[in-house]
Amino acid sequence: MSLSIRLTINGAPRDIALEDARVTLLDLLRERLALPGTKKGCDRGQCGACTVIVNGKRVNSCLTLAATLDGAQVTTIEGLATGDRLHPVQEAFIEQDGFQCGYCTPGQIMSAVGLIAEGRAGDDPERIREGMSGNICRCAAYHGITLAVQEATRRMAEAEKGDAA
Amino acid sequence: MSYLTPKSTEEALALLGQAGADVLAGGTDFFPSRGTRPQTRSILDLGQIDSLRGIEKTARGWRIGAMTTWSQIQRADLPPAFDALKRAAREVGSVQIQNRGTIAGNLCNASPAADGVPPLLALNAEVEIGSPGATRRVALSDFVTGVRRVALSPGELVLAVHVPSLPDDAVSHFLKLGSRRYLVISIAMTAAVLELDGPRIATARVAVGACSPVAQRLPGLEAALVGLTAAEVAALPVVPETHLAPLAPIADVRGSAAYRMRAVADLCRRTVIAAMTGGTTDE
Amino acid sequence: MPDTLAHPVRFGSNAGQPVTRRDGIAKVTGTATFTADNSPENLLHAVYVPATIARGRVTHLDVAAAEAHPGVTMVMTPGNRPALQGDPSAKPTMFSFRIEVLQDDSVRYAGQPIALVLGETLEAATEGARLLNPRYAAEPARTRIDDDEAAPVEPGGFGRPAGVEHGDVAAGHAAATKAIDVTYETSAQYHNAMETHAVVAQWEGDKLSLDVPSQALLMSCAGYAYFFGIPAENVTIRAPYLGGGFGSKAIPTGPQVLAILAAKETGRPVKLMLTRQQMFGPVGHRGATRQRLRLGIDDGAALTVIDHEGLAATSSFDDFVEPAANASQGLYAAGALRSAHRAVRLDVGTPGPMRAPGEASGSAALECAMDEMAEAAGIDPLEFRLRNYAETEPGTGKPYSSKALRECYMQGAERFGWSGRPLLPRQMKDENGLLTGWGMGTALFPCPMFAADARATLRSDGSALVETSAIDMGQGAWTALAQIAADSLGLPLDMVEFRAGHSSLPDGGVAGGSGHTATAGGALHAAGGDVIRQLGEIAAADPESPLHGAGNAAFSARDGRLYVDGDDSRSDSFADILARAGSAELVGNGSASRAPEDAEKFSMHSHGAVFAEVKVDPDLCQVRVTRMVGAFAAGRIINPKLAESQLLGGMIWGISFALHEEAKHDPRTGRIVNADFAGYHVPVNADVTGLEVLTVHEDDPYVNALGIKGVGEIGIVGSVGAIANAIWHATGHRIRRFPIRIEDLLTA
Repeated sequence: MSLSIRLTINGAPRDIALEDARVTLLDLLRERLALPGTKKGCDRGQCGACTVIVNGKRVNSCLTLAATLDGAQVTTIEGLATGDRLHPVQEAFIEQDGFQCGYCTPGQIMSAVGLIAEGRAGDDPERIREGMSGNICRCAAYHGITLAVQEATRRMAEAEKGDAA
Repeated sequence: MSYLTPKSTEEALALLGQAGADVLAGGTDFFPSRGTRPQTRSILDLGQIDSLRGIEKTARGWRIGAMTTWSQIQRADLPPAFDALKRAAREVGSVQIQNRGTIAGNLCNASPAADGVPPLLALNAEVEIGSPGATRRVALSDFVTGVRRVALSPGELVLAVHVPSLPDDAVSHFLKLGSRRYLVISIAMTAAVLELDGPRIATARVAVGACSPVAQRLPGLEAALVGLTAAEVAALPVVPETHLAPLAPIADVRGSAAYRMRAVADLCRRTVIAAMTGGTTDE
Repeated sequence: MPDTLAHPVRFGSNAGQPVTRRDGIAKVTGTATFTADNSPENLLHAVYVPATIARGRVTHLDVAAAEAHPGVTMVMTPGNRPALQGDPSAKPTMFSFRIEVLQDDSVRYAGQPIALVLGETLEAATEGARLLNPRYAAEPARTRIDDDEAAPVEPGGFGRPAGVEHGDVAAGHAAATKAIDVTYETSAQYHNAMETHAVVAQWEGDKLSLDVPSQALLMSCAGYAYFFGIPAENVTIRAPYLGGGFGSKAIPTGPQVLAILAAKETGRPVKLMLTRQQMFGPVGHRGATRQRLRLGIDDGAALTVIDHEGLAATSSFDDFVEPAANASQGLYAAGALRSAHRAVRLDVGTPGPMRAPGEASGSAALECAMDEMAEAAGIDPLEFRLRNYAETEPGTGKPYSSKALRECYMQGAERFGWSGRPLLPRQMKDENGLLTGWGMGTALFPCPMFAADARATLRSDGSALVETSAIDMGQGAWTALAQIAADSLGLPLDMVEFRAGHSSLPDGGVAGGSGHTATAGGALHAAGGDVIRQLGEIAAADPESPLHGAGNAAFSARDGRLYVDGDDSRSDSFADILARAGSAELVGNGSASRAPEDAEKFSMHSHGAVFAEVKVDPDLCQVRVTRMVGAFAAGRIINPKLAESQLLGGMIWGISFALHEEAKHDPRTGRIVNADFAGYHVPVNADVTGLEVLTVHEDDPYVNALGIKGVGEIGIVGSVGAIANAIWHATGHRIRRFPIRIEDLLTA
């Protein structure tokens, strides 16, 4: 069998021939599209390392069959910075030491981007902790992660205010 | 193996009738529940059927489309009787799961620890099932028949979940007990939907999950709650034999049977009191 | 002045600064390349089948079905496995385990590889592995620690700890006016680094290139080389980033060797990445223990004896006995000390070192026992520890190279607010009616050094390249080691290019034992010093240099210039010195290991004190750790930001040990029933709140030239006991089994 889907990945349209419907978005990105920034931690939706943004929402790419996404917009960690300019979440993760080994970091950052877009947690640490609990960090950099999401939330809100003014 | 993407329920039912296939809804339990079994059957992806998504008010209540996600339920404009369901929605896996996972998927997987089932039982939900040329409705309590078993015949699909109308002032609450704060499979969970008469309970519907192969309503406890105030609920001695009769918890990695029974008694009281006193809703 | 320092160490402008991670941009943009991110041309994917019984034989595999699946290119079983040159039961390097590489059809534990499938795609290989559908002749699995089956450990190096005895233990017991005799249990725990074990193997003739996460690059080269009968220098390992290690990635494992063998057989590159479920088996774990502690005190609450017997689970075919009982031997001033270890052989994968091996489990039991002893004595647990404070190493009487534990106790207690603590349990409730308790524990961790080499090259433009095969598994080697190197060369950090994570570089040693920064950092420090020494010789001999004739005067280097010590008016720039000498570059070499005479003379340990607050629901018995303060004295801190992160991470591992982690076996099959992240719990973000780390400064002139002790593991050590003791203080219940389950509290 052969399937053909079109995805817009990090802003670029891609026509993709899938010879196998079992291919997950995660394995598509990593093994076929040379975008290995998205990480595999459990392949079962239990750790969040593979989090990407699909049509504006954060999802576990390990649980998402690529074939189900025809026409979708996908943003991965590789598409977050603008040229050399880091996204505010990326900057905040570095400043607040929101990672150690860095393996869960792409997922943490994409999850944080999704969380901020959901607009429900604000900079309340309790809500951030809950909202980031789908992303396990075995190094346990949670303290820095929470601070980074708070910091990025504030910075993005200020930037938005600045734009509006 | 082939991959099928029907655009309508009719087409989906026709394909299902011809081929037999594994139905893919949100897909969040598609691989995990398969374990190490090979994928031999075709995959029927319901993702392109728009009519299966969304929540609408009907003459007799509410219709929640089968493919409605847990995130959509959390954000829907629904009366307080649905607070329990919304709270449960917030506990289904992680936000990443809630953004893809669907209400019908949760029901059809029939995990004893499925977060969505207790609040829907307490809402007296019914399941709308389609087959080629026909639909039928089954009470949720009759739909889930065992661990990973549901009353679906070959060729049938769940199309929607129906919740009958409730008075606007009906209240509800949901609590989940896990050993971690979040991202956790329940040790026990309780949902309560109440109609109140001033400070007293007029009718009560209480359901418990993860303490029996299928989540259960507790008719004994429900009867005992009628007429009580919140303070009286707090003081109510819960008698397992009469109040918790349908429960048959097992010991598993998440907790022993004795612990679950004791915890459930307390969780039930707390859930009912939280529903009566408005709990702490921060949504 | 200390006698170990050839030159006084200058506290430079780089070390000691909270520099953000130098690999930060790579890690936040997804460009940091982990092993499985590599996909060379013409790649084959490997997937192995794990045994689903714990003891017996494989009687059937449906090889034909797997081979018939489109895209499957090879099925490797014991029946057709190509020969290995090395013996899977041999131990080719200092840290080695016997491995399972399809040498026969026997099954020794659940999760052992029993077949390997290669496919053109990952999906094909995965499906092929599913189709093998194994059948077994199973025997009853042994997965519970049974005292009757225990045997003493024959001491002998890695994994076989010797016991310790100091003083008259019988007299110590006899002298006690109060005594306790308690047994604590700890569960099997699995490392579960976020990056699962993986390998991408490529052969070119008899040369092997590996992408493989490794905590010991050169040792791993030797290990892999042994199995394939090639010289170690024929193996190249790239491992710029490890997605966590925690002790599990120091040693070649069976699945990785099988993938390399498959690459050799097919002549194509092969990638293997373990699934999360497969992390519960062939890649090590922290073995379960049962520890008996007998403590006695005299009328003044002075310890007369600490008598600690450890019983640990190991596999049926190899030895790694958790050295838990030894954790109690270096901490408190007891009249007599004894530790002993026994082992029980179970049908499990061989345990191995996991973050703070020995100390984590041993301290959990010891610190709880100390709390119980303090309770029996009727005195505050902190006061009890202070009364038994060891001014010299217990037993041996050796002086400590440095020990600021008293300051840790004081600063930690002050910050936590310990002084208001009621002596009796079940005295505190919060505003929501939750039972509240405070507990504490002492942390102790040795500071070993391994051996490492490094090279520093000063370039004509005044910048430098420093190189060692160091490993960054999250601890921050890319950053902290570069800070050390920059100081050793007297250069700002951004003038130093640092290369690590590749086996072709000078041997950076092992990232383990909390000793990597000290060891690899020591080598870099020495290499930089070698450059500066040579530079000084050139300048002193150069008539055109302002330093000409400075002769034996010592030089110091800063900001790219060499100065005569104590005379800032005489200096010369690195670039000018090299330019006049006509040198394009200047190469220095360095190595580091512990001076044996210092190791003999001093007891060298990091110390700490951890204070914890828990809240317990009085009805549901749910436990939440609401506050922790850890105060640690670990010598010189190279990067406070990174050190704090590591210590916090360690404390959260303490929460995990105390409340969450446990692999549970199905007694019938021997399988682990919770072998994934849904069932095997580690803390999530919402479980972590109110944690604080204090570092207490220590100048340690003996531990090594840089005064570094290491912070990678000590964070977990006192934390487990602190939490358990806080739970007792909240509830009045002593739960002597880890993790502490809510049901244990309910039925207590």
